[in-house]
Amino acid sequence: MIKKIAYTVGAIALLFGLWGVYVRLFEGEQSANYGSYIGWGLWVAMYLFLAGLAAGAYMLATLDYLFNIPQFKGTGKAMLWAAAVTLPAGLASIGMDIGHMERIWKVYLQPNFSSFLALMVWGYTIFLLLILLSLYLAFTRPEQSVMKLVMWIGLVVAVLVAGGVGFLLGGNASRLFWHVGLLPVQFPVFALASGAALMLVLVGWFGPKEDHGNRANQLWTLGILTVILSVVKLYFLFTDFTQSLYGGVPENVQAVQAIMFGQYSFSFWVVQIGLGTLLPILVLVQPKLAKNDFIAGLMGVLLLIGYAVARILIIVPGQVVPMLPGLAEAFSGPKLTFEYVPSLMEWSVTSAVLGGAILALLIGLDRLVRFTEVKK
Amino acid sequence: MSNPNEATLLNKYASEVFAGLVAPALEDMQVSTHPAEDLPAKEDALVRMNRELKRALEKPASERHWVMVIDLRKCIGCSACTVACIAENKLPPGVVYRPVTIEEVGTYPNVTMKFLPRPCMQCDKPPCTDVCPVSATYKNEEGVAVVDYDQCIGCRACMAACPFGARTFDFGYTYTEQLPVMDGAVIGGESAGGYEHASQEYGKEWARNSRHESPIGNVRKCHFCLHRIKDGILPACTTTCIGRATYFGDANDPDALVTELINKPNVIRLKEELGTEPRVYYVV
Ligand code: SF4
Ligand code: SF4
Repeated sequence: MIKKIAYTVGAIALLFGLWGVYVRLFEGEQSANYGSYIGWGLWVAMYLFLAGLAAGAYMLATLDYLFNIPQFKGTGKAMLWAAAVTLPAGLASIGMDIGHMERIWKVYLQPNFSSFLALMVWGYTIFLLLILLSLYLAFTRPEQSVMKLVMWIGLVVAVLVAGGVGFLLGGNASRLFWHVGLLPVQFPVFALASGAALMLVLVGWFGPKEDHGNRANQLWTLGILTVILSVVKLYFLFTDFTQSLYGGVPENVQAVQAIMFGQYSFSFWVVQIGLGTLLPILVLVQPKLAKNDFIAGLMGVLLLIGYAVARILIIVPGQVVPMLPGLAEAFSGPKLTFEYVPSLMEWSVTSAVLGGAILALLIGLDRLVRFTEVKK
Repeated sequence: MSNPNEATLLNKYASEVFAGLVAPALEDMQVSTHPAEDLPAKEDALVRMNRELKRALEKPASERHWVMVIDLRKCIGCSACTVACIAENKLPPGVVYRPVTIEEVGTYPNVTMKFLPRPCMQCDKPPCTDVCPVSATYKNEEGVAVVDYDQCIGCRACMAACPFGARTFDFGYTYTEQLPVMDGAVIGGESAGGYEHASQEYGKEWARNSRHESPIGNVRKCHFCLHRIKDGILPACTTTCIGRATYFGDANDPDALVTELINKPNVIRLKEELGTEPRVYYVV
C-alpha cells in the first residue's frame, strides 16, 4: 500500500516536473526567481541536500559491508542503491542551475583546480564511480577483501565530499554568514543524519516482506542514531546562531534574523525545527513508536524534509544582506533583488528531480537490489 | 585629442557653459567680462587624462596599472555614468556594471546624501577568480578582471564570491522585446533590436541573438571599457561624468593625475579589511 502511494507520488512529481524542465531547457532561466544578488537558490540547496544524502547513505552502507554489524546485515545493497540514485539526482539539480550546461565538459577537460567547485565536480564524479563499483562488487563478491578496500576508500571520499560542500560555501570570506569554520565540519554530520533518516524510510516502509524479528531492532537503533544526530545538529545551529548574534557584526546578525524572525521564520521554526527535528525526536525516543514500521518511515520523511529546508536556509540567508548599503535600491531591473522565494518553475524542476529519484529508488528496490532477508 | 588647440577649445567651452549655469546665482557679484581665452589656463581633467592614456599605451601592457579614482565630494548622484556604461556595453535589463548607491547620512534635520558609484573594484587579490571552475574569469595582463564569455559555464560562483556585488547575470532580457512593431515603420522592438545586439565588449561582437547564446547565461561585469582603452579612449563612465568626479589612468605613471590623487591621505578603498586590494579609490 505504502509502496503504491510512493510510486504514485513519485510519478505525479515527475509529471509536474516535466513542465519545469521543459521551460528551463527551452526558454532559459528567466522564470526562475534566483537572480543577480541571490544567485544560488532552491536548486543549489537541493544539490547540497541530495549529494549529502548520497554521502550519508554510503556511510551507512559501510555498516553492512565494511563493519559487518550483524543488525544491519542485508541493508547495504539498498543503501548503496540509494546513494547511486540520490547523487545523480543532486547533480541533475545543480546542472539545471548553470547557465551553459552544454559546457559542463570544460570542468573535466579544462579544470581550474584552485576552484573548489571544480574540485567538487571531480570529487563527486569519483564518488559516483566508487558507488557504482561498490554496487557491482556487492553483487559479485561482497565477501572479498576488494569490497572492503573499495568501501574504505568510498567512506573517506564520502566524508571529504560532504565536507567539501561546506567549504564551497564557507570558503567565501565575502559572505560572513557562510564563512564559519564550522561549516565543513557540520556538513558530513548533516549528511550522515540525512542518510540515517533515509534508511528509516527504506527499512520502515520498504523493508523485506518476511521480517525475521530483526526489523524492530534495526528501526530502534536507527531511530536512536537519528535522534543523536539531530541533537548534534541542533547544537551546531544553536552555537552558530548565538555566536553570530552575540558577535553582532551587522551582516551576520541580519542573516540570522532573516531566518529566525524574518521572511524565512515559518520555514525555520515550523518546518525545520518543529516538524523536521523536534517531532521526530519526541517520537523516536519512544521504543514502541520507533519500532513501528509506518511511524518510523514517516518520521524519516519528516526528518528528510527538515534537512532539505535546513539546506535552503543555509544557502539563501547567506545572500540576503546587500553587500553595500543602498545596493538594493541603486539600480532596478529584473532579478536585482535581495528577496527570494523559489518560483513555480523552480519548484517544478525540483519536483522532477525528486520524483525521478523516488521512482528510481523504488524500481531499484523492487527489481534490482532487494534487501537481503536475514534469518536470525 | 591632446593637441593644444583642442584643449583650449574644450576649456573655453567648459568654462562658458559653466558660467552660464552659475551666472544667475551671481547676479550681484562682479563677474569678469574677459573672454575665456584670457583666463588662466587650467586644463580640463579629461584632456589631461586622455594625454596620459596615450602615454600609458606606449608601454607594454604588463607595465600599466589601471586604476579608477572617484571623488565622492564631487559626485552628485546623477547616474549618468551608470547609463553611459549601459549604452556603451549594451547592457540588458538586470545587468549593471556601475550602479550608484544612495545613502542618507546624518540625523534629521542635519542630513545629507552620500552617493557611491560602484564599478568593479578590479581587485588585485580578487576572490572571484580562483573560484571559477573553468578559469573563465581572471585578471588579464593589465590587471583587469575579465570574463571569457565563451568559456564561462554560468555557475555564478564568482558572483557569490565578490564582496562588492559587482557581478550580475545575463538572463537574456532585452529592453525592446515587448515593444509593439508596426509594419513598414521604423518602430518598436525589431528596429531597435540591432542596437541591443551590438556589444563590442572585449573587442568582439556579441550578437546575443538567441536565448542560449553568450553572454546570455554568463556572469558579466565592469571591465574598465578595455575595448575603448585599447583605442586610446577613456572608459565611458569617466568621459560622461558631468561632475568630473571619475578619474582613470595608469598608477605606474608618477606624473599621472590618478597617481597624484591616490597618494594623498584622504583616499579610501571599500572593504579594505577583506584584503582584496581594490584598484578603485575613493576621494573623501
Ligand atoms: S570587485 Fe568583485 S568582481 Fe571585481 S575584481 Fe573584485 S571581487 Fe572580482
Ligand atoms: S559564472 Fe562563469 S566566470 Fe563565474 S565562476 Fe562560473 S564559470 Fe567562472
